Parts: sequence; C-alpha cells; structure tokens
Amino acid sequence: MNYTDLFRATLPETVLEIAALLVLVVDLGFLRKAALETRVAVAALLGAAGCVVGLWAVAFAGAGGLSFGGEVLLAGGGSAGVAQCGILVLTALALLLLIGSDFTSHAGEFAAVALMAAAGGMIIAAAQDLLVIFVGLELLSLSLYILTAFAKKSGKSAEASMKYYLFGGMSAAFLLFGFSYLYGISGSTWLPRVVCGVNNAAAHGGAPLLAVALVMIAAGLGFKVAAVPFHFWAPDTYEGAPAPAAAFIASVSKVASFALLISISSVALHFMESFHVSGDGTAAFSAQPPQITSGFGAGWPLIVAVLAVASMVFGNLAALVQSSVRRLVAYSAIAHAGYILLGLAFFSWTNRSAEAVLYYVLTYGLTTIGAFGVVGVVERVTGSDKMDAFLGLNKRNPLLAGVMLVLFLSLAGIPPLVGFWAKFNLFAAVLEAAGGVVPFALVALAVAFSAVSLYYYLQVLKRVYVMPGVDESPLRVPPFALIVLLVIAAAVVLLGCFPALLQGWIASFY
Amino acid sequence: MIQEAVSFTPQFAVAPVTKILWLIPAAPMVAAGVIALLKQPQRRTAAWLAIGSLSFSLLLSLMAFAHVVGGWAAHHAVRETVNFTWMQVGAANIALGWILDPLTAIMLVMVSFVGLLIFIYSVGYMAHDENYTRFFCFLALFAGAMLGVVVSNSLLLLFMNWEIVGLTSYLLIGFWYQKPAAAAAAKKAFMTTRVGDVFFFLGMVWLSAQSGTLLFYNHGSGALEGLALTGLLAQHAALGLTAAGAIGLLIFAGAMGKSGQVPLHVWLPDAMEGPTPVSALIHAATMVAAGVFLVARVYPLMQDGAAAGGTTTALIVVTWVGAITAVFAALIAIAQNDIKRILAYSTVSQLGYMMAGLGIGGVALGMFHLITHAFFKSLLFLGAGSVIHGCHEEQDVRRMGGLRKAMPITFGIYAIAMLALCGVPIFFSGFWSKDAIIDAAQRWNSSVVPYYLMLFGAVLTAFYMTRQVSYVFFGKWRGHQPAHESGKIMLWPMAILAFFCVALGIIGTPAWPWFDAFLGNQAAHLQMGAFASSEFLMMLLSATVVVLAGIGVAWWLYGNKSPAAGEPDALEKATPWIWAGLRDRLYVDELYGATVLAFYEWWGRVSDWFDRRVWGGAVAVVAWLFSLWAELNRFLDEQWVNGGFDKGCEELSNGGGLLSEVENGRVQIYLRILALAVVALAILLIWSSRA
Repeated sequence: MNYTDLFRATLPETVLEIAALLVLVVDLGFLRKAALETRVAVAALLGAAGCVVGLWAVAFAGAGGLSFGGEVLLAGGGSAGVAQCGILVLTALALLLLIGSDFTSHAGEFAAVALMAAAGGMIIAAAQDLLVIFVGLELLSLSLYILTAFAKKSGKSAEASMKYYLFGGMSAAFLLFGFSYLYGISGSTWLPRVVCGVNNAAAHGGAPLLAVALVMIAAGLGFKVAAVPFHFWAPDTYEGAPAPAAAFIASVSKVASFALLISISSVALHFMESFHVSGDGTAAFSAQPPQITSGFGAGWPLIVAVLAVASMVFGNLAALVQSSVRRLVAYSAIAHAGYILLGLAFFSWTNRSAEAVLYYVLTYGLTTIGAFGVVGVVERVTGSDKMDAFLGLNKRNPLLAGVMLVLFLSLAGIPPLVGFWAKFNLFAAVLEAAGGVVPFALVALAVAFSAVSLYYYLQVLKRVYVMPGVDESPLRVPPFALIVLLVIAAAVVLLGCFPALLQGWIASFY
Repeated sequence: MIQEAVSFTPQFAVAPVTKILWLIPAAPMVAAGVIALLKQPQRRTAAWLAIGSLSFSLLLSLMAFAHVVGGWAAHHAVRETVNFTWMQVGAANIALGWILDPLTAIMLVMVSFVGLLIFIYSVGYMAHDENYTRFFCFLALFAGAMLGVVVSNSLLLLFMNWEIVGLTSYLLIGFWYQKPAAAAAAKKAFMTTRVGDVFFFLGMVWLSAQSGTLLFYNHGSGALEGLALTGLLAQHAALGLTAAGAIGLLIFAGAMGKSGQVPLHVWLPDAMEGPTPVSALIHAATMVAAGVFLVARVYPLMQDGAAAGGTTTALIVVTWVGAITAVFAALIAIAQNDIKRILAYSTVSQLGYMMAGLGIGGVALGMFHLITHAFFKSLLFLGAGSVIHGCHEEQDVRRMGGLRKAMPITFGIYAIAMLALCGVPIFFSGFWSKDAIIDAAQRWNSSVVPYYLMLFGAVLTAFYMTRQVSYVFFGKWRGHQPAHESGKIMLWPMAILAFFCVALGIIGTPAWPWFDAFLGNQAAHLQMGAFASSEFLMMLLSATVVVLAGIGVAWWLYGNKSPAAGEPDALEKATPWIWAGLRDRLYVDELYGATVLAFYEWWGRVSDWFDRRVWGGAVAVVAWLFSLWAELNRFLDEQWVNGGFDKGCEELSNGGGLLSEVENGRVQIYLRILALAVVALAILLIWSSRA
C-alpha cells in the first residue's frame, strides 16, 4: 500500500466527508441568518452535489481496490462498485426529499451526518477485512442513530432513536464478539483467510465454537437488514424517525448491509472454488462449479435461510394488521429483507445471485425512498401517518396519488413495474443456484407471501382511490418534492418497462 | 407484366429517419395519454392534441416514404431495421425493433393520412357528444397502436400493438355503452377476434421455439430470413404442412379474426354500433386491414418452400378463405337495410378479395387493393355518416330517399366512392386493384373456382351498392324531418378522400405497375403498349360486363322507385326464401348460438353444478368433520380438562402478559428476545451440524 493508492481507493468516501464539512461550513458560517427554508435547500443541494461528485470519484477509483501486504482490504468494481453507486444515488434522492421539510432547524448537521453515514455505507460495501467492516458499520450505525433523533421536538423521534441505539449497540456487541471468535479460529481478520481457517476448523471438530460465532455475526448483520428475530427496532424507528431519515435508513443502509452480505457470501464461494481446484492437484483453473455450495461449512446458508423464512412470514403477516402506513412500510421492509436473504441463502458461485440481489435492493431502495417521500408530504399536511390520512388522496392531489400507486404496486411486484423484475430475477437466481425441493418450496412460499403483501398495499391504495374522503381540499405539495417524486415514479416505470437497462448496467461492473 | 425481374440489391445502412421511426407511433400514444388527463370541458385541446400528433406522424411518415422511394429510385432495396434488447431472461434474449421497408412506408402514409382526415371529420361529427375528449383519447391511442403494428420489426411488438388495437376497437365500438346493442357488439368483437388471437399467439410461440427469434429481419438471422426459413422448412408439422406453413396458418388465423374472414366475420357488422368515424377508420380503413398487412408481413413464411411460380398449402388456404368470404359477405350485403351494415358486409367481402389477392398473386396484389379500399371505403363510411347526420340519426335506407337534392355534395362524393367500390373501369382506383386480383385468379394454376367466385362477388358488389344508392339518394324522401347537408369540416376530408379514390389508380395500371414494382423492389417502366395487350382488353371487357350487369339489374329493380318502409323489397317478392336467409345473415350467428355458445352455456352449467354439489359438498363435509372434532374437543374440555385448566389459567395469564409486553414497544423485552434468538439459533445450528 502506498498513499497514492489509499487516496485513489478511498476517494469516494473522502469526497463525501469533504462535502459533509463543506455543508457544515456553509450552513453554520454563511447562512446563519438565512431563513430555514433556504438553509434546508442549500444543505440538501450541496449534499446531493457531493454525491454526484462521489459518483465521478467511484468511476475514478476504478476496479483496483486497496491492498495491504497482499491482502485486499477494500474491493473495487464488482458488487462493491454497484452498491457504492447505488448508495450515492439513493443518498442524493433522500437529501433532495429533505427540501421543504421543517422538522429540524439544524439542516446543515442533518445533511452532514447523512453524508457521513453514506461514507460508512460505502466502506462496508467494499470492505474485505473484519476490522474495516466493523469500523464502517459503526460509522454508518452511529450516524443513523443521530439521524433518527433529529426531530428534537418530537418525543417519538427521541424514543425511536434510543431504542434503535440500544438495540444497535447490543447487536454490535454480538457482531464484535462473533468476529473475535472468527479471529481466534483462523488467526486472521482478512475474509479469505478467515474462510480458510473456518473450513479447517470445521473439518477438525471446531463446530460448536464456529456455530456460536456464525450465529452472533448473523445477529449483528440481521439487525442491520432488519431480519426476524432481529427486527424489533425497525417498526418503532420507521415510525418515529423524521421521514427523510426513515427513507435513508430503509434504502441506503439496506443497500450497504446487503452489499456486505454479498461480499461475505462471494468470498466464501470463491475461496471454495480455488480450494476445489487445488484439491485436484491441477494447476489449471477449472470452471467446474464447486461441490460445496457455500463456505463457512453448511451453517451459514442454514442460518440465512431460517432468517429469510422467518422474515417473510412474520413481516408479511404483521403488516396485515397495521394501521400506520410507516409501520406498514417497516413490516413490508422486513418481508422484503426476507426475500433478499433467500437469494443470499442459495447463493450462486457465478455472478447471477449477486446481480439479482443488487438489482432487488437497489430498486427496492429507490421505491422505498419514494414511498417515504409521499408519506412525509402527506404527514406534513395532515399531521398523521395513519392510513385514514390518505383517504381521498386521489381527489386532493392526483399526481401524488399516481406516484403512490406506482410505488406501492411496484413494492407488491406487479408487472410491468420494476418490483416485478426484481422479484422475478431474484427467485430465478435462487432456483438456478440450487436445485432440489427445499429452495423450490421456499421460493413458492415467497411467491405466496408476495401475493399476501398485495393485500396490505392495496389497503392503502383503496383509501387513496376508492373510499370517500373526509377532507377533499387540495393538498399542496412543494413543487420540488413533487418533481423528485415524479422522477422516482418515472424511473420505477421505465426500469420496469426496460428491465435490461439496469441489468446491463449492473453486469457492466463485473 | 413486370418488365425487369431482377431485384435490387438490399441496403442495410440505417438512415436518420429510420432511427426516429419510433416517434410515429409514439406521438399519438403520448397524445392519448395527455388527453386522458384532460377534463371533459377541454374539448378543443383534446381535438387539437390528437390532430396535431397525427399530423406530426403523417409528416414523419411522408419523410420515411420519401426516403424509401429515394432508395428505390436509386435501385436499392430499402430494408432498414433498428433492433434492441428488451429484456434478458436467463439465456433467452428478447429483442424488439422497428423496420422501414416499402410495405411499412406505404402503410404508414395510408394510416396516418386517412386517420388524420377522419380525425378532422370527427371534430364535426362528434361535436355534440358529451364525451368528446374520451373519444379523441381512444382514437389517438388507436392510431398510435395501428402505426405501431406497421413499424414493428418483431412479431412480439406487433402482437402487443395488435392487442392495443383490439382494445381500442372494443372501447370505441362500445363508446356509447349506454346502448345495450353497442355494449354487446363491443364484447362480441373483442371475444371473436380473441379466438383468432389465441391461434396467433400459438403461432408466435411456435415460431419463437423453432427459430429462436421473433425479429422479422435482423441482417440474416431474423425469423423471415434465409436461415430460419430453411430450418422451418425442414421441420414437418401435421397434415403434410411444413412448420413454416403451419406457423403461417396459425398467424393467418389471427389475421382472420381481425380482418373478419369467414367464419370469424360475425363481429364486424355488429361493430357498426360505434360512432361512424370509428367505423370508417377502424372497421373499414385500418384495423381490419391489419390482418391483411400481417399476412403480407409474414409472407416469406407462407411462401416458404414454393417452387418458382408455384404455391404452398398455406397460400392455397388463404386464397380459398378469401374467395369464399368475398362471395359470402357480398350475398348477405344484398339483403341488409341498415346503411352502415351494408357497408360492413361490403368491407368483409373486400377483405376477402385482399386475402385472395395475397394468396394468388403475392404481396403487391393484396396490398394495392388494401390501399385503394382504405380510401374509398372510409369515404363511403364518412358519406354514410354525413347521410346519417343529415337525416337525424336515421340509419335505415328504407326511410331515406331523394337525398341527391337535399345533400348534393355528399351525393356526388358518395357516388365516386360507390363507383370505385363497384370497380367501374378505367376511371376509378377500385377497378385497377380489384380486377387485377380477379385477373390473376383466372391464371392461378391451383384451381379456377376462386376466379368464378370472385367474378360473381363483383357482380354482387355492383348490385348491392346500386341498390343502396337508389334507396338513399333517388326516389322520394320517406323520412319525417327534412334532411340537411353536413358542415364543411365534414365535407372537406371527404372531398380529399374522393380525389384519391380516382387518382390512386394511376400507380397500379398494367402500363405503369409502380406499386407492384415498388413493393417488389424492382424497376417500373412506363409501357403504354400494355393497354393494347389482349390480356388487358379481355380484363377490361369482363369487368365492364360484370359491373354493367350488377348495376343494370339493380337499377331495373330499385331505380327511382321509392317503396315505403313496410313494403317488401323487390327481391323479397321474387324469392322470399332466399331473401329471408340473406336478411338473417345466413344464420351464422344462430349457428354459433346453437353450437359454441350453447356448449359454453352447458359447460358453465356443469361447472356450476360441480362447484355447488361436488366441490361445495366436499368442503361442507370437511367443515362438518372439523366442527364434529371441535364439538368432541369441547366435550372433553368441559368434562375433564376444565379443572386443570383453571389452575393453568393463572400461569397462562402471566404468559399472556409477557406476550403483550413483547408487542408493547419495551426495548428491554426486545433485547431479551434478541439474546434468546441467538441462543436458539446456535442450538439449531449445532444440532443440525451434528445430524
């Protein structure tokens, strides 16, 4: 490693940190006396601009990554590149939705913290070393706790942040404890060596210790992606956090965490691949798929599959009885995490699974940001996020209602919206990666539960379109927010009509 | 008749106009979307959006046409395609694309030009309708989809547009949905064409499975190009057909539905319940011709394996279906009294000629009749609309009469279109296109029967049109209120169409077979000598005899007489039995009612009975078993368990409190559950690795 490499590989994160500082300087330095609206707009636009520069920096950093002593600490290109671009775009959108909101008078700090969280997300998306992973995770998580608490006037926000923090702290402790066991087993913090050591240990009777380590790591990461039974924070946080923060948590943090899960799964598989070849004693690379379907022994896929099924079932069922739209979105997020975990449980040694998971999580992030944007706008006017606050929305603002229709139907997976292709790709990848009865049954279960999910999405849309409204006065939406929401909805429709666009873009990174 | 049989060399470079060809269908579709958002009172905006977008399409179409003609003049066979990957499913790559070739260019100009005139006409015709904006929304969507059918270079994209065309046809037939007849006609049209579409879909799936692509042309690897065609020829399907022929026939079945070929013609006359501009645009000029266009588009498939000058089974089937339809519908048209229904059956009949033309003589023969027919038939419909409008929504020809005085301009224009449809020699385009088909049928080496069928059909055509014109425009006025001439906005489009009814003939005469040469990518030479050839003179003679016979007999029976509404028709008096049969549309609807519909009704009854008795019974039995089981449980509970239960209750209520606290939002509980979950998972993992 030299400093040029370090500078190049971490340029995107550096750009974000500089943008964060710039936002603070401008907001606290030049705009102290400006109106709140101006400050919010400037902070959001500056932050979004930082993300755009970050996109350029990702391209500049390229596929080289960062190595230290022959060990790749930060990967470049591939899933990491896709996830980093996704994080930047979603962060920019979440920040743009901030414009027009009034929950805080500390606009600059909010944007700065969000940018730092995004930097943390980008680190964990690329990290290949346990310590780097942990540092990135903590940067992301701590920023998120702060973002959740940002609505100082709201007791709910503080409560949600406290719960989130306590739950997150405990999960982080589990994760770190699990990491320390892995280090103890393998003697290294570099993922490939860890996998190697773990497989040696599994072969020599170290199973119970390994099981404990894996479960603890699953708890730590399950918390990040809100998988059952590590999901308890999600409904409270989604309900209490300010809408832009909730949108950020539901999208950016999800993308980063799933990118981390992808790199763990693919490192495990690629290691197995080379192990398989050298085991034959041949020097030539063999394109045969490995015999063992995942590293870490057979334990990791089992845990992930259990979490996936629990999340799908619990998330969808619990969403059925919610009366608050935010909680509904939270439980549906748990369900979506379940589907994605299914894709990670049956991971393919080719890029197919990674691409399908990324496709899902990126499009899901996009749709959720839009959904929270709509909820935020409605909430600001009606003062409530209950389903009944959406009564007669079609009459009050047809454009907003149309955006909501597109986004919710996409979340439910109705063709030709992008949510359909995401599910289709993901389930196809699962069935391609693993034959047999169990994956098939789980995919069938997932499809069945997507049908269940349609019910609660339609419950909201029924209020928007069918049921008579109480208040039919026009609902004013800040024009800028409406434009952002329309762009998101248009993207959901367009990417759905031309699924090859995003697929091709993702594939171009490998 | 074609002097030079050497085809031009194909040219693949994509011109700028081809790159933006997608805008032609996109513009009206976008306009339709915008109009859909307008409110009812914004009538002018809606009409101008629709007309403006279609004018734009017409302009682009003309540019595309000019480009193709330019290529043709420079002896290049223009066939430019733009293809792109729509989606990737596993290894399968589904591509869509658009194409510019002579066939597309001609259809584009025809559809957008006739469409534009009819849009303008509608401004006047629909002026009093409450749902004016909705009308233009549907009309624009239709135009977009129809243009989409024309530019598609992929059977899949064509099929999508085809379905939108079907949908808008349904919506427009049922535009006055408060009329039960209109609602029923819309349903009938949708379901009847759907029968054909199912076969179309099967053909498409088969083609995709066999050739691996649904693109028509793709630089040699398209489904209609050499490699795929050779492969399809090698495959043998049932009944002595090759796969190419079988797929072609399946697709032809779809075309039969849309183009109202016997036996799927029943929907088209009923479709006249829609507004008259709709009948003119969709059910005379464009949509019904989409079937003919489709057959022309997949012609290489149909023709696959034919020896030079020979024919294939698929083409023989197409010819026979067309010829039978031509006579069958013309017969029925004789005995109809609704002005639009007569025209509808006439359309079915003419579509039969087009299909037969495709089957006998190739793409150019059928397509030329399609183009000329589009002009004179839409003109007839617009004329009928003008008459209906002027007679206060009266559609029964027996309650009209003498209108040549009240509506002189409409009469003049209508007469031109009628003479074109009858195929009056030399001066009218219908002669050049229809009699070319009949002439070719005479020299068809498979059978001479279609020739006589179509000749007979031509007599009938002249007959029923003369009958209609005598009823409507001659004799005495038999209506109640006096009729009035229509406004300028309706007359102008008609006048323009009338001009083309005459002028279009020039491009298809034997002396200068430009149309034929253009579609066939060959050079056209002016040869006045062809007019003096014995073949042409024979054709002229036979056509004259046929037309004069039809018009003469009809005039002798109906001319200038004005029978009252209740009085039986002149033919009815002579042959009451045949008349009744023709009047009742040869009982095809009744036949369907007694067979297909009766079967479905019976099947519905059986299913209903099964649902109620068998499945319902099974469910009832299961439910009964469970309630029995529940009763048993309750008995056991109440008798034995209750004592222990009371004690357990205290414990359970503690547990219930615990459970409710879980949902209470207390973070301590959350963390405990987190820890428990970790322990449970670890145990599960260790247990599973041991097993």
